[in-house]
Amino acid sequence: MEGSDFDEIDFFRRVALSGARALLIGRRALVALGLPLLTADYDFWVHVDDAAPFNDALYPMGFAATRAPDEARTKGRYALENDEHVDVLLARGVPTVDGVRVAFDDLWARRRSLTLAPGVEIAIPCIDDLIATKRFAARPKDLEDIRLLETLRAEDEVS
Amino acid sequence: MSRSIQPATDATRARLKAIAEKPLSLEEWRRRATIPLTEEEREHTLELVRWFRRRYPTAADRLAYARRAYARWTRSLR
Repeated sequence: MEGSDFDEIDFFRRVALSGARALLIGRRALVALGLPLLTADYDFWVHVDDAAPFNDALYPMGFAATRAPDEARTKGRYALENDEHVDVLLARGVPTVDGVRVAFDDLWARRRSLTLAPGVEIAIPCIDDLIATKRFAARPKDLEDIRLLETLRAEDEVS
Repeated sequence: MSRSIQPATDATRARLKAIAEKPLSLEEWRRRATIPLTEEEREHTLELVRWFRRRYPTAADRLAYARRAYARWTRSLR
């Protein structure tokens, strides 16, 4: 599926209407905030109890889950796949590379909302929390993204 | 004599991805995290952000741009 075949607004509308507590994280969230980056997939952090409604909402678009919710809770992550790939983190909390526990509930309480279309909003972590999520995997590209986010944060504080 | 550049094979791409995705050690992470942003780096990032937000003023515009850019990039690899 090429970019034009996938209805991204419909995708986010379904997520928004699912009732699942779902935060868009990863590079797609950075793009939404204003950083022009290349990315292949979608990354969400979903509340540990909300995998089923999240999956159900996207099933009509042809997305199939790689793990059932119970197994996904045990593993802490799964994916939804069709021609698109959605990585889903399913955990109450995740430690950063330097051992700080980042809790979903805290990020959810501080979330920001971005309007994509009338009635379609996506929830993303605030910039400080996005930076925290970039400390989970300790990849070189995460460090690059942190530097970009720190610059963006400084810019948004000024303007 | 010049040689034409061939697209990377799937195996090469997988190997490069594995290198890029490999986590850093805690020591290396900390070392790199302490490298301060240079003024040039900051200015370059801000230039990009300002252009991107001006050209694509809404989050939906920006997300759609990212999909088009990624599709263009993957086509160029074929």
